[in-house]
Amino acid sequence: MIYEKPRIGVYICHCGSNISPKVDVEAVARFAAGLDNVAVSRDYKFMCSNPGQDFIVNDIKQMGLNRVVVASCSPRMHEPTFRKACEKAGISPHYFQMANIREQTSWVTADSAHATQKAKDQVAAAAARVAGHAALTSREVAVQKSILVIGAGIAGIQASLTAAEAGYDVHLVEREPSIGGHMAKFDKTFPTLDCAACIMTPKMVEAAQKENIHLHTWSEVVSVEGFVGNYKVRVRKKPRYVDMEKCTGCGVCQQKCPVKVPSEFDEGLAFRKAVYSPFPQAVPNTPVIDKDHCIYFQKGKCRACEKFCEAAAIDFNQADEFIDIVVGAVIAATGFKAFDPSPLTAYGYGIFPEVYTSLEFERLNNATGPTAGKILMKNGQPPRKVAIVHCVGSRDRHYRKYCSRVCCMYSMKFAHLVREKTGAEVWEFYIDMRSPGKLYEEFYNRVQEEGVHLVRGRVAQITDITDHPEDAGCLTVVAENTLARRVLRVPVDMVILSVGLEPAAGSDAVSRMLGIQRDADGWYNELHAKLAPVKTAASGIFLAGCCQGPKDIPDTVAQASAAAGEAVSLLSRGTVRTLAEISYIDPDRCSGCRICVDMCPYSAISFDDGAGVAVVNDALCQGCGSCAAACPSSAAGIRHFNDGQIMAELEALT
Amino acid sequence: MSAFEPKIIAMVCNWCTYTAADLAGTSRLMYPHNVRIIRLMCTGMLDAKYVLKAFLEGADGVFIGGCHPGDCHYINGNLKAARRIPGIAAILEQFGFSSERLELKWIGASEGPEFQEHITRFVETIRALGPSQAATAMIL
Amino acid sequence: MEKNSAMTVFYLKTDKNPKAGVSAFLGRMLSQSLADAVLVSARTPHSPLPMPAVITDPEKIEAADPLAPAAPFNAARQAVSILRHESGRKIVLVLRPCEIRALVELVKLKQCVLDDAVIIGMECRGRMETPIYLEKAAENPDLTAAFYRDPGLQDAVCASCRICTRFLPQAADIAIRVIGEPTDERIGIVPQTPAGQDLVGRLGLSEGPDSPGREDAVANMRDLREQERERAFQETAGKTDTIEKFQKYVAQCLNCYNCRVACPVCYCRECVFLTDVFAHDPQVLMRRAAKKGMIKLPADTTMFHLTRMAHMAHACVACGHCSSVCPSHIPVADIFIKVGNEVQKRYGYEPGRDLEEPMPLMVYDKPVVE
Repeated sequence: MIYEKPRIGVYICHCGSNISPKVDVEAVARFAAGLDNVAVSRDYKFMCSNPGQDFIVNDIKQMGLNRVVVASCSPRMHEPTFRKACEKAGISPHYFQMANIREQTSWVTADSAHATQKAKDQVAAAAARVAGHAALTSREVAVQKSILVIGAGIAGIQASLTAAEAGYDVHLVEREPSIGGHMAKFDKTFPTLDCAACIMTPKMVEAAQKENIHLHTWSEVVSVEGFVGNYKVRVRKKPRYVDMEKCTGCGVCQQKCPVKVPSEFDEGLAFRKAVYSPFPQAVPNTPVIDKDHCIYFQKGKCRACEKFCEAAAIDFNQADEFIDIVVGAVIAATGFKAFDPSPLTAYGYGIFPEVYTSLEFERLNNATGPTAGKILMKNGQPPRKVAIVHCVGSRDRHYRKYCSRVCCMYSMKFAHLVREKTGAEVWEFYIDMRSPGKLYEEFYNRVQEEGVHLVRGRVAQITDITDHPEDAGCLTVVAENTLARRVLRVPVDMVILSVGLEPAAGSDAVSRMLGIQRDADGWYNELHAKLAPVKTAASGIFLAGCCQGPKDIPDTVAQASAAAGEAVSLLSRGTVRTLAEISYIDPDRCSGCRICVDMCPYSAISFDDGAGVAVVNDALCQGCGSCAAACPSSAAGIRHFNDGQIMAELEALT
Repeated sequence: MSAFEPKIIAMVCNWCTYTAADLAGTSRLMYPHNVRIIRLMCTGMLDAKYVLKAFLEGADGVFIGGCHPGDCHYINGNLKAARRIPGIAAILEQFGFSSERLELKWIGASEGPEFQEHITRFVETIRALGPSQAATAMIL
Repeated sequence: MEKNSAMTVFYLKTDKNPKAGVSAFLGRMLSQSLADAVLVSARTPHSPLPMPAVITDPEKIEAADPLAPAAPFNAARQAVSILRHESGRKIVLVLRPCEIRALVELVKLKQCVLDDAVIIGMECRGRMETPIYLEKAAENPDLTAAFYRDPGLQDAVCASCRICTRFLPQAADIAIRVIGEPTDERIGIVPQTPAGQDLVGRLGLSEGPDSPGREDAVANMRDLREQERERAFQETAGKTDTIEKFQKYVAQCLNCYNCRVACPVCYCRECVFLTDVFAHDPQVLMRRAAKKGMIKLPADTTMFHLTRMAHMAHACVACGHCSSVCPSHIPVADIFIKVGNEVQKRYGYEPGRDLEEPMPLMVYDKPVVE
């Protein structure tokens, strides 16, 4: 170590009358003058003012100071100001230390002598500490101007379009054969009742046509390595067994395929073939062959699809294909899955055929669904009475204790559609009616005016035991009307369970890959609930849509645009600057125990097998010091908060 | 003989408890002058050495302040500190430092009054315990 | 290492020479190519004091003397030197229980791998301090055999061994049983894992019933040790219950760091006390002197011992080698074992018990509630 004798300038601020006269600033300045390494010590009315800063700049230049202590307010307030002054005068901004004698001394101490003594101790500690400060540097790291979006529901599509519009390459990865996600299944959307397909399909088509959006459907992200600006991503493209280049999307293969399989897209209410596109407007409209149900794959013969395909697009020899891409940022948009109400046996889902989940009802309602949009029971008749049960699996300490945020509104949408399409009587059972949002309360009022029976009470039971012979074949909904304090038994033809939302299957694996945290319910954690709602603790990883928590379409789209905006804002300059106050690991001291690797919350430390030592990635490290505190030989340390600096403070303060 | 004035070292995290201390200041909440604050970026960087050093140098009490669980700026540094403390306390107790002299509290950035309250109470606790033996013994 | 529920005991005949019985047993592993090497405490031609040795030649195995009541250091350190990476060679390690415990901790600390190793653990009546062992060995040419016969000699083991209650080998594939056995006739061999079972199965030893009185012997030894331990803990507490007393306790410390060199779980390549963190600027020492009026040099002696405790007390395997190597005869182990015991109790952690048991500070998602 080249030893440069510290020459410290100490500046005590009066802060008008905020520090002085409570603290005897002159006495503190006189005291400071006698401390080791102190070359000059002054007090001044306002150190943060231009003349105050000029003292520092001039003293550095004229007296050859190489360290500066300012005793004034909180470093949270003016540390940047004084660091800049040091830099202006030609010394490292890290050669500066602040003593907080206002917020933590003059403003909180009753007695003047005590306050003065405390200020002296603080200045002594700052001087002892600053002598050991090092000039730190940080690096500019070039970033890849491209973005990975995981999940192509409305959130992923919107984020992709926003980023692509700004000129960035986007890789949009979707595990299903088509993009579109849940929204593609919906019929109408609350509160405006636009047709979901009408507003969704143009977005889907645009995503497919944008030159700088690379769609990877029927694909999964298998690994993400690297750090902000430079994530190396491996995508597994599952075999479609249909050549995307050759396929014209004519649909003949689907007509000729002899196998019928319950359609996932139609929630099992209709059938698809073994070679299929999930829905008519699928993007891309190249079908996939479902190997598990294909007769050729299972029994070795059939090949009907191949025989009838004029474009010769069927290719049974396709295998997994791995695509490696490098991106600067990642947007997670893995969405949700609907709560499965089967465990709530009192509601009879899976037992009574006329009990539907909300997603099933969406399909029943949809023009491309199993009933071509007519609301019909399994017997082909329209229902005369329909019950809608809110909060199924939500706000329930046995299942999901949180509110799904969407079930009140979509339930009222269902109520409206049932009234409009069938004229049936509608009974809605809710716990609390939640309709905050633009035009939402108005929609609630409208549904009330349409003659929907709104009952405040949680449904206790749905049973096929009826009270009156004329209701035979009906289901009875048992609930307490908590406002009337009366138990109701309502006979109905059809029940819709408004199920809650859960994190999508597989979202835990994605979170581990991305190194982001999940909350107790499994939703991805944003960096800050208010101030950084789409960022995560992992720099360069952003969140869009329901993967962060339940939300409706307007909020999802807004958040997706925000996530794309954050990603673009991060990447637009072309470089990111690493933090200076981060961990370092001395390879000569490291024993290779890898405790630090396990301690690091950012996966910023890796183990170099060749050298047998742990290595910090300065682009990932946030400087928390978990590694430093856990390392017994102090091979790991945090720059600017190292053992020597903190213990120097400690000695001066005790 | 003048009354015993405890010497307290508070090691607090930048994001929560240090900010709470600043807030106590801007709110002009008075608390005992005995506390000397050292700013760490996170309680997760709290090395056992710092606590031992503070006591050997004659601190009468050591107060650690971090973010509430779940609020840590660095995800879980506070939990790592919480895990470390009992081991350090066990060592200190062996040599006669009462476990009451080492305290860990979660004080969020908005909790200026809580900071005032905890520090005031801690100083009183230490005052009641009397001087740490290390403060009077000659530590070589 | 999975434990077998039903322990079968095999017996080695010793013919009044347990040393020869054990070395013949180990020799067969080499000659039958069941092991490529044996790491075992062995006598060199140069000294009666056994030192860890790597033996590959069955002809040389007669030097092995793991039952000798001597151990100049905790052999886990030496084991690490040959187990740092996978070698593809099958290595049999003959270790004392405290050495196995240390080795398990060192595996957790990624200092070595046990993929190639089979661990034979000895039931341990303790080791003598080296000068005492040499003295007794000079008086008694067949000290190993005599030691298991003569309670007087057994009382000459070092202070840490006298208070050791973990004298049966855990986490070992095979245990060598000497407690409650007529060692002049036979020694027990107990496979404790499938790997141990496999190895012992190939040696054609004869199975036998448990020796009568075996259980009582173990229980008695444990009782005695526990009583002794309680007494020692109290005595140490009395000598260290204030920091001033502790300073007196370590007053002769030279800051030589021998204790940390001898400590098998002090795994740091370089101790933090040898780094610039404690290489103070002269100003710092002058400020300290000015604050107190007088300071002793070298500085940071008390700080060193407390910090070392903070670093390794949870992993202390109570082998006592820190005391054995102290040139100032400070009973380092007495206080470290006591503090270790306390820290381990608080974290519910037993060092060396199980490779799968995570080290206590690594499990931070569950804060300790007292």
